[in-house]
Amino acid sequence: MRRLGYWVREAVTNIRVNQTTTFIAVVTTAFTLVCFGVFLLLYLNLRGAVSSLQDDIKVIVYLHDDLPAQGLADLQRRLSGEPEAADLAYVSKDKALADFRAQFPSEQGLLQGLGENPLPASFEMTLTPRYRSVDAVKRWTDRLKAVPGVAQVQYSRDWIDNLATMIGYVELASVAVGMLLAAASVTIIANTIRLTLYARREEIEIMRLIGATGAFIKIPYLLEGAVLGALGAMLALALLKGGFEFMTLHLGLPSRVLGLAPKLGFFPFQMSVWLVVAGLFLGTVGSLISWVGLERSRT
Amino acid sequence: MIQLFHVWKHYAKRPALSDITLQVEKGEFVLLMGPSGAGKTTLLKLLFCAERADDGQILIQGKNVARIKPSGVPYLRRTMGFVFQDFRLLQKKTVFDNVALPLLVQGLSSFDIRRKASEALKAVGLEHRKESRPAMLSAGEQQRACIARAIVNSPLILLADEPTGNMDPDLAADIMDLFKTINARGTTLVIATHNRQVVEQVNRRVVTLAEGRLASDVGARQ
Ligand SMILES: Nc1ncnc2c1ncn2[C@@H]1O[C@H](COP(=O)(O)OP(=O)(O)OP(=O)(O)O)[C@@H](O)[C@H]1O
Ligand SMILES: [Mg+2]
Repeated sequence: MRRLGYWVREAVTNIRVNQTTTFIAVVTTAFTLVCFGVFLLLYLNLRGAVSSLQDDIKVIVYLHDDLPAQGLADLQRRLSGEPEAADLAYVSKDKALADFRAQFPSEQGLLQGLGENPLPASFEMTLTPRYRSVDAVKRWTDRLKAVPGVAQVQYSRDWIDNLATMIGYVELASVAVGMLLAAASVTIIANTIRLTLYARREEIEIMRLIGATGAFIKIPYLLEGAVLGALGAMLALALLKGGFEFMTLHLGLPSRVLGLAPKLGFFPFQMSVWLVVAGLFLGTVGSLISWVGLERSRT
Repeated sequence: MIQLFHVWKHYAKRPALSDITLQVEKGEFVLLMGPSGAGKTTLLKLLFCAERADDGQILIQGKNVARIKPSGVPYLRRTMGFVFQDFRLLQKKTVFDNVALPLLVQGLSSFDIRRKASEALKAVGLEHRKESRPAMLSAGEQQRACIARAIVNSPLILLADEPTGNMDPDLAADIMDLFKTINARGTTLVIATHNRQVVEQVNRRVVTLAEGRLASDVGARQ
């Protein structure tokens, strides 16, 4: 189509003619997107860490010492029937003591003084994937506490809870920062294109006079905005990737940052594509906005 | 084809057109005369929807111009051609591309665009300059490029503002002959001019404006 060729040529010309402003727009857009990207990376990695931790959540059900053998068998049957329970292992009083001794050889004296084995027997349970969330675990443990024969229920609660709240904050911050910076990129691109529009207002007026529709005239500028946004996003990705590699390779930072993160990851490919699409979208919006003033000025 | 009823147009509270009532039939050739500042350009701009009247009615092809939405204006303009007093050529494009633009905008095929643009350039005798930029042309040549662009899509109405202002008498006569040919094919013409020689040569209806008012309206000599 000849018109398509025209639009592309016009957009390319605009970008080539305003190399300096284009360059500045791309770089500033890239920096705003980098800021957003840092938050997004932090969020994604935290979430990854939490879900891998949630895979390891163990619920330990401590039993009353006076539970008869029959009661123990009933309880075991009942617990393994729960939909939350994936795997169930019985730890007898003796085994608990042996484990303790193996784990804390220096604390032998602590138990000796007590004479009888003070450690309770327990069931160690892992969760089915569907119930590996903080809320589900909490609800389940509350329910288990009421089961006869159960003395106490524990799970690695505190740090999971903490991490979950932290993630909530990071998520909130990402959204807030993201919106702020999206607005900033839109403004930057809108201003860049406004400069082009101003430089070419004469030509735009002529296009109108020879019967071009508003859409026909706008398309090259929308393309220009889209290209600026997409280039900005690509540059941002490159900068983020560079920074990320530098941190992981030269500083060995990730293992120290959280201690528990299995391995820090960069954006998966698909998400990188989405970021570029987001840049493209922001650029197009910026370009649309740049027309608002111009349209208003000619009534 | 073109009807004006009690049309007023003010610029900064000063009337540029006062109470103009005028009718132009389909296929007519009207010369619009009057001293500088009389309101000729203003009148043509109103017909082309480049300006809006403050009062009165303007009908073009039976349509009330005041009621046309901004989105409808481009489609109205596609049925008209306009030769601007100040040319209004795109400086970054070649003469050929300038002339082809109204067709491109309408989405014609490459083949038709090339054919029609070449015809229009040939009609104004500018074929040999089609690859030049407007800045490389003389004023008369630029004016002819502007005329070629105005006639390229065979408009129903052709409005021309001083189309021979920058031409020697011979060339002006040639261009007027071209306008007569276009008119003979059925296009309605309204041409603003100062040039008495042109008026004599053309011998058509002459509408004269003076200080924004309709001063006289004289038919062709028999
Ligand atoms: N955009 C404008 N803003 C303010 N005043 C204007 C504007 N355009 C025209 N005028 C005024 O309106 C009056 C008519 O102008 P117009 O351009 O229609 O004259 P004209 O008959 O075409 O003159 P010329 O023969 O010199 O081209 C003039 O007094 C002019 O100063
Ligand atoms: Mg004039």
